[in-house]
Amino acid sequence: MDTITFNVRRFDGEDAWNQEYSFKRQTITLLGALNMIREELDDSLCFTQACRHSICGSCAITVNGSAYLACETQLDELIDTFQTNYFYLAPLNNFPVVRDLVVSFDEKAEKMSKVMPWMCPHEGRHDHKQSEADHQKYQQATDCVMCGCCASGCSELRYSNDNYLEPFIMNKAYRFIRDSRDEKGEDRVKIILENDLWKCLHCNQCATKCPKGIPVSSEISYMRRMALRMGEDKSMGARHAYCFRDDLIKTGILNEAMLAVKTEGIVKCAANRIPFTMRMVLSGKMNPLHVMLQKPVKGIDGVRKLYEISQKMDKED
Amino acid sequence: MRSYKYDILIVGAGGAGMEAALNASKDENLSVGVITKVFPTRSHTGAAQGGMNAALAYRDTTDTIESHVFDTVKGSDYLGDQDAIEFFCGGMPDLAHELEGMGVPFSRDENGDIAQRPFGGASHPRCCYAQDKTGHVILHTLFENCLKNGVTFHDEYNLLDVATDENGVQGVVAIDLRAGDIVSFQAKVVVLCTGGFGRVYWTRTTNASNMTGDGVAAAMRAGVPIKDPEMVQFHPTGLSSTGVLLSEACRGEGGYLINNQGERFMSRYAPTKMELGPRDLVARSIETEIKEGRGFGEGMKSWVLLDMRHLGAEKILDRLPQVRELAMKFEGVDMITDPVPIRPANHYSMGGIDVIDPYTCATAIPGLFAAGECSNISVHGANRLGGNSVAEVCFFGKHAGIGAREAAPTREFGGTDKLESLVESWEACFKKMRRKRSGTHIYEIRDKMAEAMWNGVGIFRDAEGIKAAMATVDECIELYKNTHIDDSSKVYNNAFMNYVELGNVLTIARAICMGALDREESRGSHSRSDFPERDDVNFMKHSLVTLADDGSYSIDWRDVKVTKYEPQERTY
Amino acid sequence: MSTLRYAFFPGCTLESAANELKVSTEITCKKLGIELVEIEGWTCCGASQVQDVDDFFGLLVNARNIALAESQGFDQIMTVCNTCTLMLRTAKSRIDADPALKDKVNDALAEIGLEYKGTAEITHYLWALVRDYGLDRLKEQVKVDLSNLHVANYYGCHILMPPKIMGFENDRNPQSMEMVMKALGAVSVDYEQRLACCGFHAIYPAEKEAETGNAVSLAVAKEAGADCVVTPCPLCHFSLDMWQKDSQEYIDTDITIPVLHLPQVVGLALGFSPKELAINHHVVSAMPLMKSLGLK
Repeated sequence: MDTITFNVRRFDGEDAWNQEYSFKRQTITLLGALNMIREELDDSLCFTQACRHSICGSCAITVNGSAYLACETQLDELIDTFQTNYFYLAPLNNFPVVRDLVVSFDEKAEKMSKVMPWMCPHEGRHDHKQSEADHQKYQQATDCVMCGCCASGCSELRYSNDNYLEPFIMNKAYRFIRDSRDEKGEDRVKIILENDLWKCLHCNQCATKCPKGIPVSSEISYMRRMALRMGEDKSMGARHAYCFRDDLIKTGILNEAMLAVKTEGIVKCAANRIPFTMRMVLSGKMNPLHVMLQKPVKGIDGVRKLYEISQKMDKED
Repeated sequence: MRSYKYDILIVGAGGAGMEAALNASKDENLSVGVITKVFPTRSHTGAAQGGMNAALAYRDTTDTIESHVFDTVKGSDYLGDQDAIEFFCGGMPDLAHELEGMGVPFSRDENGDIAQRPFGGASHPRCCYAQDKTGHVILHTLFENCLKNGVTFHDEYNLLDVATDENGVQGVVAIDLRAGDIVSFQAKVVVLCTGGFGRVYWTRTTNASNMTGDGVAAAMRAGVPIKDPEMVQFHPTGLSSTGVLLSEACRGEGGYLINNQGERFMSRYAPTKMELGPRDLVARSIETEIKEGRGFGEGMKSWVLLDMRHLGAEKILDRLPQVRELAMKFEGVDMITDPVPIRPANHYSMGGIDVIDPYTCATAIPGLFAAGECSNISVHGANRLGGNSVAEVCFFGKHAGIGAREAAPTREFGGTDKLESLVESWEACFKKMRRKRSGTHIYEIRDKMAEAMWNGVGIFRDAEGIKAAMATVDECIELYKNTHIDDSSKVYNNAFMNYVELGNVLTIARAICMGALDREESRGSHSRSDFPERDDVNFMKHSLVTLADDGSYSIDWRDVKVTKYEPQERTY
Repeated sequence: MSTLRYAFFPGCTLESAANELKVSTEITCKKLGIELVEIEGWTCCGASQVQDVDDFFGLLVNARNIALAESQGFDQIMTVCNTCTLMLRTAKSRIDADPALKDKVNDALAEIGLEYKGTAEITHYLWALVRDYGLDRLKEQVKVDLSNLHVANYYGCHILMPPKIMGFENDRNPQSMEMVMKALGAVSVDYEQRLACCGFHAIYPAEKEAETGNAVSLAVAKEAGADCVVTPCPLCHFSLDMWQKDSQEYIDTDITIPVLHLPQVVGLALGFSPKELAINHHVVSAMPLMKSLGLK
């Protein structure tokens, strides 16, 4: 493990190739190692950097497919994680690549504008006050450095069209939705709904890869609840989520067989899912009788009571 | 040749650049464009942690603008222009509210007002903050407002030169790094907001790697003097390998500074206060130890140790969790089990483009304005107070934008001859550098310059040392004429950009040497062992270093503007 | 060594579509001497869906599930589903970190005669094998040679992320599945989609994306030489097996590959027949594979 090798995905605007760089193992950050390669081995290796202390968000790349902010990642940490001295370095996923490890954020900034990523103060707001409690509601979201690690890991973005919003854009919208000084929260939720809010796959990559630990997936969940409170409950995703709650109250256990029907509606479901259902029944995965006869769990009254209590609680704001 | 035309062109998209863009574009009849070296939110304004001074008097009702003015004048060691400081401090409370109204998520006090905290050199707690990420949130808020107002950004367009003629600015020449094209921007007014030049010291700075004074050097080449270049601020505790700033809280909580003999060497320099001595004394002490062979490592990579281990895991985890994490992330050292290698680092450049009108941020060239760390207006004089940098960036960025907005309608578009000839010569240069392989490599020259600057015009200064540094810088300037890179790509040629940046830091380094040599006194951050006293008779003046077309440098002096504060001895 | 004893939280899929997982979990645990006692009265964990409708209700049902196990005398809860594990652990970590929330939750639970104490830990079958049972011990129990079985381990997201709540192993390069397979004598193939997302939780609204992703995952697994995919999660299994034909629509290469539950592979090594493990109940038949391995 004395020699470390980076196998770097390179691209010059036309051609792509892989190139290996080897150097002696030492205590150094990933960014430090990249700079060492630039200065001692190959000054044509391109990547972006600036502050080198994880506030500017310039230097995110992927190592073995996993996004890291290069400046705050120690080489030892990579060795420890991947148990190897050979690493594949590539640009962030889900971004247009400019050259080597350099990606473009311009398109994302344009896309971000969709969610009105700026404060729209309440009309007649003249003072400059905000309670500490209100400040805390969105404070963590302002930690975002727009490094793109979340978007690189996002499982939905990978195969989506351009409509779905990068997690850091969702976070930006959330930041204003939760800011008591702002009055356009509901408008933003509507915009995000139109941009496939319910397509988030719940994989938690965004929250996990965020170098600032922003819980983006929880923020997305919050925006879904807000959409439902606004009465935006007709989408497939919303109906799907309601099925689970309804079954919890009804029997305590999900009625899988009815899930597709309730989510997609009887017409679409009948058109789409008959082959699927047949496969389920034939492989013994679905018992048509079971569907009809599911019994409530023991203590279902308690579950219903808990639901009642939760409905009486202060509503989330 | 690709060319663009804007009434107002702003160079740089940090705090100053975006404030300028927002204010310049308030006149809808004007076209405004911004070129920036990096995507806007990557700018170095984001690195400011502590906060922004504004005498709002929320936390301390006895605070006044007058007090902020005096603290700043005193902090500047009487080299700040008092009219500029009065304008600045007087406007900060409104600006803080304005920024709050734009969405800056300031921390809050128990009344819901903007929270304020005490800061070094301030006689009242007036530093407005957002946790430890004040610059970051201000930068992002300004970017959000730019998106709101449809500001046109040209990202990763790097400034190469400012074109001027007898009528003032013609515009700027830049490289579109992604396309590899040299392009021209014709403009009636150009506002330079390109940041500082800490990278003159290369690794021994807390500055971002792209803080290479591109705008300052371009302005110098266009004939604008650099003012007080010798005024460079240092911080005693940067991490050894990267220069990343390690908070002073470490010393505050009782950390020991240890040399290679295992001694707590501060006993030699400050026997009573030890590690808690003032910043500059601690910095000088560390450098003395290294100079006298009691440090670790060699050359620019030397260090001493900051030992926190005796505090114990519990106290470190309780009091310094973030600092511990920082040392682990960036230096790979856990302060619970190991001492942290540290060394002083350059932190801020007070000097910069000579602005002659603080109210508009105009320079002597018609149509050319400057704001932010690249400028010297001068509110920081010989030493900048904590909490005044983000404040300055926003305040003067705004006023430069207003100044540009008011100047643009009074000016015509100039000629394009100078622009065209600059484009031509930069194209030739880009072509040559992509092919040429002989000469000394840029990084070798850069390291040579940085080491000379650190040793001769860093924390220790005397005539002999400065002259030695100057000679090395001159040598580097010669080597630079025949330097090379290895990257032949047209697309995103970072090595070529490094070549341009090296030319810029060399240009500025030479000016720093000149100012430092001729300022025969000690004032603020400029500390001369051969002239240890402040000399108000001869040097209560700004140094103005001018670069001539033939590459020669000359120095001139201008009196500091005094309104009502006569110089006193600076003690705290 | 003392007997391992867990409150068993099967989760909804085990009651219907993934009944074969319940069967294989129970018989393998029994064989290994691990005692599973199904929590009486357990309900759906909310499946990261109820949480999108009513956050507090989602929290309460899991507080109730945990409290039931505690009241039935257990300090360990085992699940066999990634999402159930995540939902239960999320509830636990939120409640344990916030005394005010704990009071609020317990006020509600008191109405139905329960109390959340926080004494029970939540683990997953995979973790229990590695951490509680031990891989050396597992290896000793192996009766059948699986050295010809090449498996593509498919972790699924919720057993790894977010690591603050899950934290059993490094989410960027987990090894527990490979370690278990090694102990069982099966061969793990390395493939790029090892940590991909199956898209189960949004498979209706994001059908194209989820199924395209699964098509790629299965194609890459096959290309890497896998005979089957193995997953510790019935929801991943649902997406990869039951929707495999739908995924096929998004890719030209044939992606047909059987998908097995982790306990089924454990069971094969322990000497159970494919039928005992209900391996004949998958949509994409694994029986030809079983036959080729000489397993009847």
